[in-house]
Amino acid sequence: MAELATMGICEIRAGLAAGEFSALELAEATAKRIEEIDYEQGGVNAFLEFTPEVAREAAAKVDARLAKGDSLTDIGPLAGIPMAYKDNMNLLGTRTTCGSRMLENYESMYTATCVQRTLDAGAVPFGKLNMDEFAFGSSTETSAFGPTRNPWDLERVPGGSSGGSAAAVAAGLLPATLGSDTGGSIRQPASFCGVVGVKPTYGVVSRYGIVAFGSSLDQVGPFARSVEDAAYVMNAIAGHDPLDCTSQPVSTDFTANLAEGAFGMRIGVVPAFMEAEGLSNEVREKMAEVANALKSAGASLVEVDLPHAQAAMSAYYVLGPCEAFSNLSRFDSVRYGYRDPGHADLGGQYEASRAEGFGPEARRRIMLGSYLLSAGVYDKYYYPAQQVRTLITEDYTRAYEKCDVILMPSSPRTAFKFGEISDPTSMYLSDMFTISLNIAGNGGMSMPVGLGKDTNLPIGAQLQAPQFKDENMFRAAAALELIYGKAPIAPRYAESAGE
Amino acid sequence: MKTMEQVLKDWEAVIGLEVHCELTKLETKMFCGCKLEFGAEPNTHTCPVCLGLPGALPVPNRAAIENIVLAGLATNCEIEKHTMFYRKGYMYPDMAKNFQTTQGPKAFCMRGHLDLSMDGRGADERLFWKDLDQGEVSENMTRTADGYVAHVGITRIHMEEDAGKMVHIGGEEGRIAGATHSLVDYNRAGTPLIELVTEPDLRTPEEARQFMQKLRSIFLALGISDCSMEEGSLRADGNISLRRRGTTKFGTKTELKNINSFKSLHDGLAYEICRQAEVLEEGGVIYQETRHWDPAKKRTIVMRVKETADDYRMFPDPDLAPYDLTDEFIESVRAKLPELPDQKAARFATDFGLSAYDSQHLVDNPDIATFFEECMACAKGDAAKLAKPLANLAINDIAAYLNANPETALADCALTPVRALELVRLLAEEAISSKQGKEVFQAVLEEDADPASIVEARGMKQVSDTGAIEAVVDSVLAEFPDKVEQYRGGKKGLIGFFVGQCMKQMRGQGNPKLINEMLSSKLDA
Amino acid sequence: MAQHVTERDVRDIAEYTRIRLNDDEISQMTIDLNSIIDSLAPITEYDLEGVVPTFHPIGSLSNVMREDIERESFTQDYALSNAPAQQDGCFLIPSILGEGGDR
Repeated sequence: MAELATMGICEIRAGLAAGEFSALELAEATAKRIEEIDYEQGGVNAFLEFTPEVAREAAAKVDARLAKGDSLTDIGPLAGIPMAYKDNMNLLGTRTTCGSRMLENYESMYTATCVQRTLDAGAVPFGKLNMDEFAFGSSTETSAFGPTRNPWDLERVPGGSSGGSAAAVAAGLLPATLGSDTGGSIRQPASFCGVVGVKPTYGVVSRYGIVAFGSSLDQVGPFARSVEDAAYVMNAIAGHDPLDCTSQPVSTDFTANLAEGAFGMRIGVVPAFMEAEGLSNEVREKMAEVANALKSAGASLVEVDLPHAQAAMSAYYVLGPCEAFSNLSRFDSVRYGYRDPGHADLGGQYEASRAEGFGPEARRRIMLGSYLLSAGVYDKYYYPAQQVRTLITEDYTRAYEKCDVILMPSSPRTAFKFGEISDPTSMYLSDMFTISLNIAGNGGMSMPVGLGKDTNLPIGAQLQAPQFKDENMFRAAAALELIYGKAPIAPRYAESAGE
Repeated sequence: MKTMEQVLKDWEAVIGLEVHCELTKLETKMFCGCKLEFGAEPNTHTCPVCLGLPGALPVPNRAAIENIVLAGLATNCEIEKHTMFYRKGYMYPDMAKNFQTTQGPKAFCMRGHLDLSMDGRGADERLFWKDLDQGEVSENMTRTADGYVAHVGITRIHMEEDAGKMVHIGGEEGRIAGATHSLVDYNRAGTPLIELVTEPDLRTPEEARQFMQKLRSIFLALGISDCSMEEGSLRADGNISLRRRGTTKFGTKTELKNINSFKSLHDGLAYEICRQAEVLEEGGVIYQETRHWDPAKKRTIVMRVKETADDYRMFPDPDLAPYDLTDEFIESVRAKLPELPDQKAARFATDFGLSAYDSQHLVDNPDIATFFEECMACAKGDAAKLAKPLANLAINDIAAYLNANPETALADCALTPVRALELVRLLAEEAISSKQGKEVFQAVLEEDADPASIVEARGMKQVSDTGAIEAVVDSVLAEFPDKVEQYRGGKKGLIGFFVGQCMKQMRGQGNPKLINEMLSSKLDA
Repeated sequence: MAQHVTERDVRDIAEYTRIRLNDDEISQMTIDLNSIIDSLAPITEYDLEGVVPTFHPIGSLSNVMREDIERESFTQDYALSNAPAQQDGCFLIPSILGEGGDR
């Protein structure tokens, strides 16, 4: 038996079912491991808020139900599973800071639907995870509460914006976490940290209670160290929510067809992407290797074209800031959030509170969005961006006539060092392979496929699927997992896990 | 300043209205399930959505959409099937999200119109209406026998949400100026609100007032709002500019706000017409500005000068699904349309032989109209005879009573249709005077008793016995020979004095009409 | 790099978005915004004549509504629980004079 605290969901379910340990024992072991690893000076720093007491209570409830004779199926797909949540997800009893001074002391007043669904499915909540401020970033460096470090190399970023969620799973602190993805914020950190990260089709998971960044782009999804574990979480969180107009009925059992593997699947590859500027050699070579691996698993490779992918980048940097500008206007120091003290007039209080409360990246995006929506400018950028969205959607529709899944890198390179990229425009380039998907609203996931030959750091293969066909990518991912193995715990922390 | 009549000889007023109406008859708010209730403890009807908490999402109220489609159908609008909600950004503390969810270029209801029948003094504000021949059409009016019909275009009616409420403290009573702090209550935030915008088709303050009254009677008939201007569930802003008669180019307009009654709407617009004319005639310039009507001081004051067009950063709200209204949906709403005030008025005129004026006023308040119909049903054979006096009772006494007692529902009053009919019969048979009629009306409401028993108990039978009246008249004329002289010398106004003296002798129970006739015949003989 | 916004424009935007920036921050923000807006150029270069915009990623999404049924509201204390300042059951803010006032 592997050490309790580093088990995956499937192992935990088996152990709990067999009575090998209790949910409370698991919770205690998890709490101890988080305290030891995450709070180490200069360590991972994935947690913004740690709630071991709440976790113990939840675990005890699961044990009580098991003792009463309820089965794991009765309790739910996440019975006893330690989880934690990106800090843009409201959870009663915790603060929801979004990694921002603006919400440093904001106590959640309700619980997000996706979080509630994990709790209803038996999950044991350990707290809230670090992120780029309001999810603006690709490195978790913009968090007001200090960066999270990549468990594979503490001098490197974990990716972002869901850096805390990815790093916590990679360091073996938790078997699964939730993150959100607006332009790659699940897939890119999953790639940098070498774990499974799923961005489902827009509408599969309710956004109610997730602090909005780009409302037409945001989607919640899980991080885990195996495809099946991620599928368990998906089963808990997917489905229609009457509180979110854009959520859709979903009845897929994501664990159901994993065993089918990739046999007979048509895998689309985009030759033009392999020539992209900024794509590192080791990632390019790895993608070729992955394509061959899928072929050897019985899939066929098909060349497809996504001609407007370049425009997706620009469309994203129009739509994202526009929606963010509007979504963040509610942070005004009136009902909640940071209030700069001592102002006799509201105007002065507004301006000082928003200047002090928002970090530089948030201020940049808010101001960019405000500019792009202003009279005369709207027609030049915003409206064309929504037209480009049509073109990108059509690109995908055409591509998916020929294939079931599209394969491409999650990120053009492996994790970079802190401070290595400071210019905002260059930072935005790290989303080049992830953004189109959010524009089109399709599903995608990052699968760890081993280490880069030059950097010796994890590389993620991105598997994309048509809208509401997320099960396709899970099948292909399961096939890759047979070849590359489950996501390992980062070496530095694997030792402490006794592996 | 010149009077409005003087001004309008040289200038033409161009008026458009923006009307906001809260859909108060719904159970819940526009985008969340919080209860709609006026006057609750502050912030007790709030939730993540209407407090604008991070992560909250809106879900539209189906009944609100049905209500606005009803309003559109009742005002001859085309129902736009494909529409979207937009976000209109502006930071203001009563707007929890700091954007208002509203509609964009396409509203649910587009291109409607209402016709206003203008007659009597109301028509005369349009100075030159008599210059047209009957049936003649000019611009947006058609001449009728005793007035004209004003054709008022409705640009659109769109769906939006109301803001919260603020109280300003630390300064002069409730005023922003001088206040040190403000208190914000979000109970009203998110109340479903429809905004109707007219074309600039109105030409007089009276037309504006009648438009609002007509709109109110329609919305009341639809049952979508309590339409209280005092409580702010029905609000009107007026846009007004002047241009020289005979010219077509619009002048610079001002926007008139803080109108909480039909009278304020009329008087505020009338003041603006005079004020603008004075400025223009002195060679001054009208600034595009928002002005506040102060009913106490009877003038408008500047609230805000609009230097540039507001830039609200509008864009389609990504959290809300677009609308693609089906014919089935629209027809299902159409099926719920009640008889509208105009239709009802026409029916009253035909069925009961009432004048256009009486029937129009009866339908202004749907409760009164319903009450009137119930009375007519009870009247059976006497319906034709009693319709006119009953209409008078309804339009004057009952309407005044309901205005003075806004909390009271007519259906809950002691005045039942049977009692109203009884009262009207007593009046029609001249058993009591009209003055006594008013006393009986009050007594019925206060004592919950039948009119006949009140008349009986108070011994207020009207004396219509000509013999008795003649005796009194003779004694009065004998008592004041000097006054009789003066009267016959041409001071005809003294008739009132003689009537008063007769009534005094008869302790108020004499039939004033008979007394008058008797006096005239004797004095003028 | 093209000059899409001037420092003056950036000052206006800062005022509109209610974010106080000092002169150095305005200068840096002007450089940053111009650089980002430059990178948006492709969006202005496509031939988009006749392309219908997609405002919602789910094409079939329409007419989503809820029934007019009451849900539980917050209590007053709870509604105010994150308020930076409160009084008499309301959110307390400093004087709003000068805040548009067009209401």
